[in-house]
Amino acid sequence: MKAILIDDEISNLENLRTLLEKHCPQVSIMATAQNINDAVDIIEKYSPDLVFLDIQMGEQTGFDVLKLLPTRNFEVIFVTAYDQYGIQAVKFAALDYLLKPIDIEELINAVNKAEHKLATQIQNLQLDFLLQQLKKPETNISKIALQMQSEIRYVALSEIIRCEADNTYTRFFLSSNEKILVSKSLKEYADLLRPSGFLRTHQSHLVNPKYVKSWLKEDGGILLLTSGEKIPVSKPNKDTVKQALQQL
Amino acid sequence: MKKIIFIFLSLIVAVSTVNAQKGINFNHIYAAGGKLLMCVDSSAKNVFYAIGFPNQPRTTLSYLPEVNNLSISINFRKNINIRHYRYTILIDSKPIVLNKPIDMTQLKDTHAGGDEEIFSSTTLGIFPVKGKIITTLIYSIDKPQDIDKAVFYVKPIPRAKILSFRKRFKTNQGVDYKWITDIKDRTRIALTEKEDELTIVKDKSDIDYLYYTSIKDKKTNKIIFKSTTWDYGGIISEDHEALPSINIDKNIFKKSGEYEIIIQPSIKWTNCLDCDISPKETEKYITRHTLVITLAEESYTKKELYSYALMAAFVIGLNFLLILHAIKKRNKKKVVEQEQQKNTAKLQLNSIRAQLNPHFLFNALSGIQNLMNKNEIDNANKYLSKFARLTRNVLDDKELISLSQEKTLLDDYLQMEQLRFGFKYEINRSENLDLDNVEIPSMLLQPFVENAVKHGISKKATNGKIVITFTKQANDLVLTISDNGNGFDTEKKNNGLGLQLSASRIALLNSIYKENRFTLAIQPSTNGTKISLTLTDWL
Repeated sequence: MKAILIDDEISNLENLRTLLEKHCPQVSIMATAQNINDAVDIIEKYSPDLVFLDIQMGEQTGFDVLKLLPTRNFEVIFVTAYDQYGIQAVKFAALDYLLKPIDIEELINAVNKAEHKLATQIQNLQLDFLLQQLKKPETNISKIALQMQSEIRYVALSEIIRCEADNTYTRFFLSSNEKILVSKSLKEYADLLRPSGFLRTHQSHLVNPKYVKSWLKEDGGILLLTSGEKIPVSKPNKDTVKQALQQL
Repeated sequence: MKKIIFIFLSLIVAVSTVNAQKGINFNHIYAAGGKLLMCVDSSAKNVFYAIGFPNQPRTTLSYLPEVNNLSISINFRKNINIRHYRYTILIDSKPIVLNKPIDMTQLKDTHAGGDEEIFSSTTLGIFPVKGKIITTLIYSIDKPQDIDKAVFYVKPIPRAKILSFRKRFKTNQGVDYKWITDIKDRTRIALTEKEDELTIVKDKSDIDYLYYTSIKDKKTNKIIFKSTTWDYGGIISEDHEALPSINIDKNIFKKSGEYEIIIQPSIKWTNCLDCDISPKETEKYITRHTLVITLAEESYTKKELYSYALMAAFVIGLNFLLILHAIKKRNKKKVVEQEQQKNTAKLQLNSIRAQLNPHFLFNALSGIQNLMNKNEIDNANKYLSKFARLTRNVLDDKELISLSQEKTLLDDYLQMEQLRFGFKYEINRSENLDLDNVEIPSMLLQPFVENAVKHGISKKATNGKIVITFTKQANDLVLTISDNGNGFDTEKKNNGLGLQLSASRIALLNSIYKENRFTLAIQPSTNGTKISLTLTDWL
């Protein structure tokens, strides 16, 4: 895999290079860049398979590099020290990211995943999706990318009736009666979707309030959804769920 | 109605069958009270007849100052049992007829006052009356208590005489009295706080009921008191006779000043036919007495004056104390409020202080990771301990740190950043500045230094340079941070979180330390930025 590293700090570049050479021998580093212009140049020059992209680069962002490229035929692994806004958008696009200092296992996972994606030759729409999301204010995000076994689904939040935990996976129940199993935990999606109004009623359940029909008192509290399904509300979540439903 | 007409009509003219005797004009009949009628001398003027009195329904008085002879007759309605009537006539309180029945043989039918009604009438007697008082008492044996009393007063009505004044005052036991017995035309009466009532004592006469009393405020000429009654309670003359008196509440005298007591007979001098009595003459019947009232509120005895002064002083003193207390309380409240504000400011300051850029923290850790991965173990150790020291400083809640501590902190920080960007830096100090003993608020400079790194020299790599100085200028401590970066636009609002936080932090510090002791100056230029922080009168 041809890779390119982009970071404004030389020590970070050095560090990433050391780690990749040691733990990910399938990656061959073609070049590194410390600013956006160099980054665009070397990407165009080397047509890499994989780009490690620092989000915060001085007063600019790694996203700016993506915006400057007409075609993006590569996988991106974002690297960041601390940038909530960027990470949020990256998560919605179901893209991979690494936090500094870099965890070796996460690095290996991310590289493996990228390798897998490149092997299946799925057209990479995630970056387009990310750049679209970045244009909008964070609370206005209306779509989410769901990484399935062999494809990426872009789903409108209004289509999601509920999510249910299935071990470390999450099952999405859509209004089209479709079910999607995603290889991420419910907690991750709960954190991601809570700002959009989704309710964590139970440790295994995340519900879109749009689809709540009524509150049933049986068994200490149950939500009846418009789909006819009954979703349990656990005791610790009862008050917050009730309050949120009243505000609707 | 007919009865009222009969008694009170001013004049009843009737044709009398009785011939004129002793000069009496029998054609001119006056009502004389009750069932009585009277005729007087044809020459007589000023006949005040049948005067009634409050609370004395059966007593009438006729004042006949110029009459010599008087004829008294009685009229009965036809339905009255005349045989049951008895009459008594007194001349000067000596009875000449006592409980005598009516002589039925003498009764004649008569029209009284030209009325259609026919009465049975008889004459009770014709008397020479000059200088006398004739009194008739008439009753029916069916109701022996209902005695009609008619008085014919044929001598000058005497002027009432004020015998004495009496002041009532409160004592611990109840009340007691003070007397003023030496009465002239004018009496000065001082009424103290404790004196609440004034009593006027009149001389005793047979016709006390005739007199009424009024009191006039001489200043306003208004009658402020009027009484037609007399008390006979408790004031006894030397002859063991109960004397008429009236009690006057002190409160009618609203102000100190002159008041006139007027005691006069209740005769309406103008209310009679052929009356020819001048005001000068009527004045002879009126008792006028001037009271000079002095009320306690304006006249204090020395003792009272002292006590009032003492009381006033006490009240003023109390007020003063209360005000003082209120002011103290308010000040205390103010101090508490200021304290609270200060505390809030401190809390805010702490929270700002705690916001050491996480971007820096994680990048620094990343730098250390790099050293480890490059097997530069000694360096990794060195930076790790620097990082620990820096983190500890952020987590520490110290308000003030010494300049030498601040220098170490900045060294640590800048060396960590050097690891990332590879610039040069210097920290210079005035020789006469005691770094170990001068203290400044902790994390005061770090945000500015961070800005210098981030916006100033991070792009210049090894060509970048940061110079920090600690200078003593008279009593001021001047701290400067300069970099040789590209400078930044002060107009641009979005100059990074660090600078914003620093500005609000300096505002907070000024609110805590007062007198605006912290001044921040930013001098950007094309070849770098200089930040000076002056701590006025700090040394």
